[in-house]
Amino acid sequence: MIFTSLEFFVFLPLTLLVFAVVDARWRCTWLLLASCVFYSAGHEVYLVYLGSVTVTAYVLGWGIERAAGGRRVALLTVGIVGLAGSLLAFKFYDFAAGEIERLIDATLAGRSFSLPRLGVASPAGYSFYVFSALSYLIDIYLRNVSGEQRAVNVALYLAFFPKILAGPIERAPAFLSQLGNRFSWNSANTVLALQLIVWGLFKKVVIADNLAPLVDRNFAIAAFAAPLELLISVYFFAFQIYCDFSGYTDIAIGVALLFGIRLMDNFRRPYLSRSTAEFWSDRWHISLAHWFRDYLYIPMGGSRAGRLRQYFNVMLVFVVSGLWHAGLGYGVGWGFLIWGVLNGTYQWISLATRGLWGRLGEAMPAVRGSAWLTILRILLTFHLITFAWIFFRAKSIGDALTVIRKIAVNLAEFPALIFRYPFTAEHAMGASLIALLLAVEVLDERLPIAQRLAAAPVPVRWGAYYFVIFGLLILGRWQAKEFIYMQF
Amino acid sequence: MTHQSKSAVAFIAIGLLIYAGLYFAAEQLMYRNGHSNPFFKIATATTKDFDWVILGASHAMPLDFSDFNNQMQNQTGLKIINLASPGTGPLYNRFVLEAFVKEHSVKNVLYIADSFAFYSRVWNEDRFSDSKMLRATPLTQNTMELLWRYCWSDGVDPRSFLDYLTGFSKINNRDRFQKDVWEGELQFDRVYRSSASAIKSRISYLFPSSDREAAMARYIAQFGKLSDTARQQNVRVVVIKMPAPAAFRAALPNEKAFDEALRGTLAARGIDLRDFSGELDEPRFYFDTDHLNRAGVSELFARYLKALLMEP
Repeated sequence: MIFTSLEFFVFLPLTLLVFAVVDARWRCTWLLLASCVFYSAGHEVYLVYLGSVTVTAYVLGWGIERAAGGRRVALLTVGIVGLAGSLLAFKFYDFAAGEIERLIDATLAGRSFSLPRLGVASPAGYSFYVFSALSYLIDIYLRNVSGEQRAVNVALYLAFFPKILAGPIERAPAFLSQLGNRFSWNSANTVLALQLIVWGLFKKVVIADNLAPLVDRNFAIAAFAAPLELLISVYFFAFQIYCDFSGYTDIAIGVALLFGIRLMDNFRRPYLSRSTAEFWSDRWHISLAHWFRDYLYIPMGGSRAGRLRQYFNVMLVFVVSGLWHAGLGYGVGWGFLIWGVLNGTYQWISLATRGLWGRLGEAMPAVRGSAWLTILRILLTFHLITFAWIFFRAKSIGDALTVIRKIAVNLAEFPALIFRYPFTAEHAMGASLIALLLAVEVLDERLPIAQRLAAAPVPVRWGAYYFVIFGLLILGRWQAKEFIYMQF
Repeated sequence: MTHQSKSAVAFIAIGLLIYAGLYFAAEQLMYRNGHSNPFFKIATATTKDFDWVILGASHAMPLDFSDFNNQMQNQTGLKIINLASPGTGPLYNRFVLEAFVKEHSVKNVLYIADSFAFYSRVWNEDRFSDSKMLRATPLTQNTMELLWRYCWSDGVDPRSFLDYLTGFSKINNRDRFQKDVWEGELQFDRVYRSSASAIKSRISYLFPSSDREAAMARYIAQFGKLSDTARQQNVRVVVIKMPAPAAFRAALPNEKAFDEALRGTLAARGIDLRDFSGELDEPRFYFDTDHLNRAGVSELFARYLKALLMEP
C-alpha cells in the first residue's frame, strides 16, 4: 500500500479509530497488525521476508544481551553477516552473476557459461528494515538498548507502517522508549501531523510527479534528446528525487505523530546546504547518513585514526552508500558506484581544502560573512550534487556520459537558446513548482513554517491550507507512480 | 462545542464550499470542451429518436470523425449517433447502450466487433475507471445509478463510482482547457505507411491478457447481455467487423476462435454478422496500423455501409 493510494486514505482513519478505542495494552499489537496489513497489501509474501528479519533480530538480540565475551561478538557477527548478506544477495546476486557470465564469455571467446539466478527482487523497503535490524543488534551489543524487549515491540520497531517502506531508519532506543508512553490526543501534535502529511503529499504528487514525465522522457532517450531538454531534465530530477523522498518522509513523520510516535528528521532543506559535507551530514537522508556515521565510519576509526585512514573511511562510506542505493528504482548498475565515488571525492576535496578556506575566511572576514558568498556556496553545492545525480538517474554510465557530453558541448549556446526555445506548459509548470518549493524552503530555513502558520491570522493560515489542499486536487498526479526510495 | 471543534467544522464547511465551486466549474468546462465521449453525446443530443446507434471501440470512431456522421445522415436521411469510444469492450458498450435507451429511443444498433475487446478486462471493467473517460462524462442521475449497478453486479471497481460522484477526474483534469478529442481524429486525413514493428507493438498493446479463453467466454456473454438489452427495447442489432490491412489481420491472435464464438452467440440470437475485415486492404485507406482514414470510411460507406444502414 502506498501513501498516495485511496486504500491508504481508508486504512489510516480506520487504524487510528481502532487505536483510539483499544485498551492501551493492545495498542502496540494493533499497530503491528495494521503494519502487517499495510506492508503485505497485494504482496502477502513480503510478510515472509519481514518475519524472517524480525525473528533473526529478536532471537540474536536476546542472545547478545544474555551472552558474554566472544559469544556476544560471534552472535553479532552472525546477525550482521546474515542480514547484510541477504540484502547484498537480493540486490546484487543476479546482477553480479550476469556480469561474471559476460566476463567469462568474453574471456573464453564465445563459450556459453551460465550461473543460477535467484530470480527474486528484494521486497519493497527491505533495505530500510534490514538497516533498522542491524542497528538494533549493534545497539544491543553496545548496550545502548536492552535485548530483552517484548517481541511485539521489536516487531513493531521493524514493521511500523509509516516508516517501513522508505524510512526514516529509526534507532531502536529512540523508538522503543516511546512505545511505553501513554498516548494522549494533543491538538498541537495533530495539527503538525496534518501539516506534514498534506505538505508531504503536495511535494510528492504535485511537485515530484509533475516533474517526472519530462525527466523520464529525456533520460529514456538521452542520445536523441535536445541538449537543453537534458539540462532541464537534470535540474528537474534534482527536485523530483528530493520532493519524492522528502515528501514520503514528511508523510511518514506526520502519520507516526498521529499515533503519538516521533520519528527522526530525515531532511532539512538540503538544497540550501553551503557545502557537500553539510548536505550529506546534516540535511539529506539524515537517518541513513547518521547510520553510516555511527555504524561504519566511527567503528572504522572515523577521523581519529590518521589523515589517510580518514580519507579511506570517507570514501568507504560513500561507496557503500552508492551500493545501498543500487536497486530497483533505476536498476542495478555501475552508475550508483560512480555516484558514491563522486560524492566521496567531493568530501575528499572538502577535507583537503578545509584549512585553506579557513585561512582565507580569517583573512577576509567581510567576504566570509557576506550573503553573496553564502548564495555562491549554495549554488556551487547544488550544482555538484546535481551533477552526481546524473549517474544516479541515467540508465547506464554510457547514458550518463552522453547526457554530460551533450550538455557540455552546447553549454555556450544555452544563454542564447533560452530566449528562442519553444518552452511548453510542462516546462513552465515545473519551473513554477520548483520556485514555490524554494520559496517555502527559504522561509522555513529562517523560521519554521509551522511556527509562522501558528502565529499567522486565521485567514492567512487557512488560505495556506486551502492552497495546498486544492493544489493537490487540481494539480496532483494521483494515478502516477510509487515513491522512488521505497524500491531501494 | 469547543472553540477547536467550531474551527474544524468551519474549516471543513468552507473547504466543501470551495470544492463545490470547483466541481461546478469543472463540469462547465467539461461541457465547453466535450466532443467524443459517448455520455457527453447522449447528454447533448438534440434529437430524441434515432434510427441507428453505433457502438464499439476505436475502429468504430472514424465513422464520426470530422463531419462524417453528418455526411452519412445526409446521404441516408437517417438519424445516426456514434457512441463508440476508444478501447472499450462489450461490457462498457452495454453500459453506454443502457444509458442511451434511458433517455432516447433507437431502432437499430450497429455493433462493430473487435476481437481484442473480448479478450481482456483492460478493455472492459478497467475502462470504467479511466480518468480520461470519467472526466468527460457529464454528471447525471441516470449515469450515476447505472454506474452504481455495474459496480455492484458486474465487477466494476467501486472507485470509479466514487470518482464519478465526487467529480475528482474532472477537477484533477490536466487537459481541462483542451477539447476532448481522441488523438486518432487529428490524423483522420493521414495515410499510413506500413510497418511490421508498429503492428507488432500495436498487437501486444491490444492483447495484454494471457488467459484469453476465459476472458473471451466472459465477454462474449457480456455481448449476449448487450443484445438482450437491445431486444428488450425492440432494437435490432447488426454486427460488423471493420476492414483491416492483411498484415494486421494476420497478426491478430486467436481470431478464428473469436469468430467462431461470436458467430455462435449471434446465431443463437438471430443476429447478422457482416464481416468486412478482408475488404479495403490498401494502406491508403488507413491512418495508422488498423484505423480507417477519411478515404477508408468513405469507401466503406459507399461500398457496403450505406446499403446496410438503409436496409429495411
